[in-house]
Amino acid sequence: MTTRTTILSILVLLIATVFAPSAQAKKGTLLNVSYDPTRELYEEYNAAFAKYWEAKTGDKVTINQSHGGSGKQARAVIDGLEADVVTLALAYDIDAINEKANLLPKNWQSQLPHNSSPYTSTIVFLVRKGNPKKVKDWDDLIKPGISVITPNPKTSGGARWNYLAAWAYALKNYQTDSTQSPEQRAQQFVTKLFKNVPVLDSGARGSTTTFVQRGIGDVLLAWENEAFLAVNELGKDKLEIVVPSLSILAEPPVAIVDKVVDRHGTRAVAQAYLEYLYSEEGQEIAAKHYYRPRLEAVAQKHEHQFPKVNLVTIDEVFGGWQKAQKTHFADKGVFDQIYQPAN
Amino acid sequence: MRNHSLSAVAILVALSSTGAYAAVAQSNDPNRVATKTTEERLAELEKKQKIMERQLEIEREQAAEKAKSTPLATANAKDGFSIKSPDGDFLLRLRGLLQVDSRSVSGKDDPKASDDTFLLRRVRPIFEGTVFGDIDFRLVPDFGQGTAAIQDAYLDFKYLPEAKLQVGRYKVPFGIERLQSNADTLFTELALSGNLTPNYDIGAAFHSESLFGGKLGYAAGVFNGAADNGSTDSDIDGNKEFAGRVFASPWKGEDIPWLDGLGVGFAVTVGNRNGTATRGQYLPSYKTPGQQTFFKYRDDSFANGEALRYSPQLYYSYGSFGLLAEYIVSTQKVTRGANSDRVQNKGWQVAGSYVLTGEAASYKSVVPRQVFDPTAGTWGAFEVVGRVSQLDVDEKAFPTYADPAKYARSALAWGAGLNWYWNRNIKWMFDYEHTTFRGGETGGRDREAEDAFLVRAQLAF
Repeated sequence: MTTRTTILSILVLLIATVFAPSAQAKKGTLLNVSYDPTRELYEEYNAAFAKYWEAKTGDKVTINQSHGGSGKQARAVIDGLEADVVTLALAYDIDAINEKANLLPKNWQSQLPHNSSPYTSTIVFLVRKGNPKKVKDWDDLIKPGISVITPNPKTSGGARWNYLAAWAYALKNYQTDSTQSPEQRAQQFVTKLFKNVPVLDSGARGSTTTFVQRGIGDVLLAWENEAFLAVNELGKDKLEIVVPSLSILAEPPVAIVDKVVDRHGTRAVAQAYLEYLYSEEGQEIAAKHYYRPRLEAVAQKHEHQFPKVNLVTIDEVFGGWQKAQKTHFADKGVFDQIYQPAN
Repeated sequence: MRNHSLSAVAILVALSSTGAYAAVAQSNDPNRVATKTTEERLAELEKKQKIMERQLEIEREQAAEKAKSTPLATANAKDGFSIKSPDGDFLLRLRGLLQVDSRSVSGKDDPKASDDTFLLRRVRPIFEGTVFGDIDFRLVPDFGQGTAAIQDAYLDFKYLPEAKLQVGRYKVPFGIERLQSNADTLFTELALSGNLTPNYDIGAAFHSESLFGGKLGYAAGVFNGAADNGSTDSDIDGNKEFAGRVFASPWKGEDIPWLDGLGVGFAVTVGNRNGTATRGQYLPSYKTPGQQTFFKYRDDSFANGEALRYSPQLYYSYGSFGLLAEYIVSTQKVTRGANSDRVQNKGWQVAGSYVLTGEAASYKSVVPRQVFDPTAGTWGAFEVVGRVSQLDVDEKAFPTYADPAKYARSALAWGAGLNWYWNRNIKWMFDYEHTTFRGGETGGRDREAEDAFLVRAQLAF
């Protein structure tokens, strides 16, 4: 073998060693762009998934989180935030990622069970201990002197659920002027409600901070899980939960961002990450953090921790998210017409 | 923010006084219907204050959030116009150089050059910036003198500050005066010695200016290979040229003021140049400061072999005084017919400057303490400059490779000038250069001396 051949052979071997698939465990990262209140849920879930993934494949995975108002997070992804997966508050925000950036397919919601919603939630009221303002139902929120805390529906998914829950209640129950249509009465009701809102945070967690830490407001319209979190953290002697007579079934969806995972080479682990939310361990973690699990066995086991609520869906009351978004939350929609900051 | 705080105080004062009045009214008139108690009013005020504070907090959070994604646009005299991402990883800077010259030259006519003319010497929009934090770029077209050409076009990979990699078209790291920014030179045109330095070339070089706390800089790379005083856009003979330069300022930052501004360097280029009738001579011509050609090889002489240049060089500044000096040797094997010789041409210059208005002299431009503003009685900065330079062509070049009846063996120039800096961006230059020659006329006589009056109005940003 000539010297030239020897040198070439060594070079080829070196190159092959560098670029050949390694027998050692791979390390990957995922970015989960989520909505505001899911911080604690995904902190625990991520650790559990990483352990599961390493046991299954031998590979390590680090999941980075980003949290914020659901609408704001969707816009960040559209503007280039490289999310491998999104776990947002409502389907419309993920639809927007498809429509404006084409990062995932139009039929994303059919890729995972239950319309890609591994857990559900609803909207409840959080009040001061003893409920000094005697808030029992939605009607009480429009009374003079009541201060209501809810985030901005333009940025927060939770705020949109709050708004729609109030609207749904008013459609059925707000009988102020029989000459008006139910829609007109509902608009009147929600207008009065937002007149009692002194501060609009950008996300649900901000509103919790306003109500719980800053002591502002008499009632917080909150995700169910946020309400339980606040009560458990601050103490049952400071806050209590009031369940309204009617609320809305919130189905926060999850999705892979296809173009990003293909670019990053993380499709397999991202798929497994979302699928594991539906596993028994994933559902247990969800229930532990007061998200209503989908898996029947887990749901039954944790039935006692979730109050019974008369729930309506966005499809039956509003005709779906596309219609609701266009009517209420788009620019110059109903919300833009009615919102005036409270004095 | 201040408005909210002032409003809160105003509300507090107004309501407190009203509350006090209500309390007095109550005490004075027991039959009057009770108004809100002071405690209730105070509780209301507290509530309003909390709301305002929280609103402020939210506004600040939103502003901070927005700032993270809002690009920063700036426009100033030092950096031109720029737009930068919040994290600084992406930057685009638009700068420019405009030089409007008046050139009046007496002496032997060069039929290709006008001896009395206004001209746009350089018209250069400058695009430079950074992408992904570690990659700089620079693109400089030039539309001066009725042409359109690309001068700088390069990428600079800065992953390792000690060994940045610059690839593309840029000035070869060799001549100290040539490497000065075109906006910062002491005189409008290079000294005679500058003829022996390469100009723009395409290649790749490792470099750093910041070794040992900025005391040592180096550049070492491979280029297509440009002839003296020339630029290239491609390698016409397939041979590459190595260029290397080190420049040290050993006392920079040390507490020895009179040595702080001393820098010395050494540069070398080594290559192999081969010209042909079809490819071109690959040989230089040399010009006076008045831009008249005083030396040129015969049309059938060609570069044919080793090309070597070296140059010890120096820059010194102390207060308002500056000094630039270089000595250059450029050797090229030349062929004409059956004849072949190593022709070694030498040049040197010493240029001094003094800023009359007291600002610091600098290898870069003088920054006036006071801008030119006649209404305020301020006139910018004035700098007097002087230099001597010489270029000697190897005797071996004559008569075989160059015609002694047409071209000089040697040129010696002395020049004096005044630079007037109106502000960071506007500079006027007034130069006078007197150049004498040895040879360059029939019968061995000396070419007529040249007097050049050069004026420049410059905008650089």
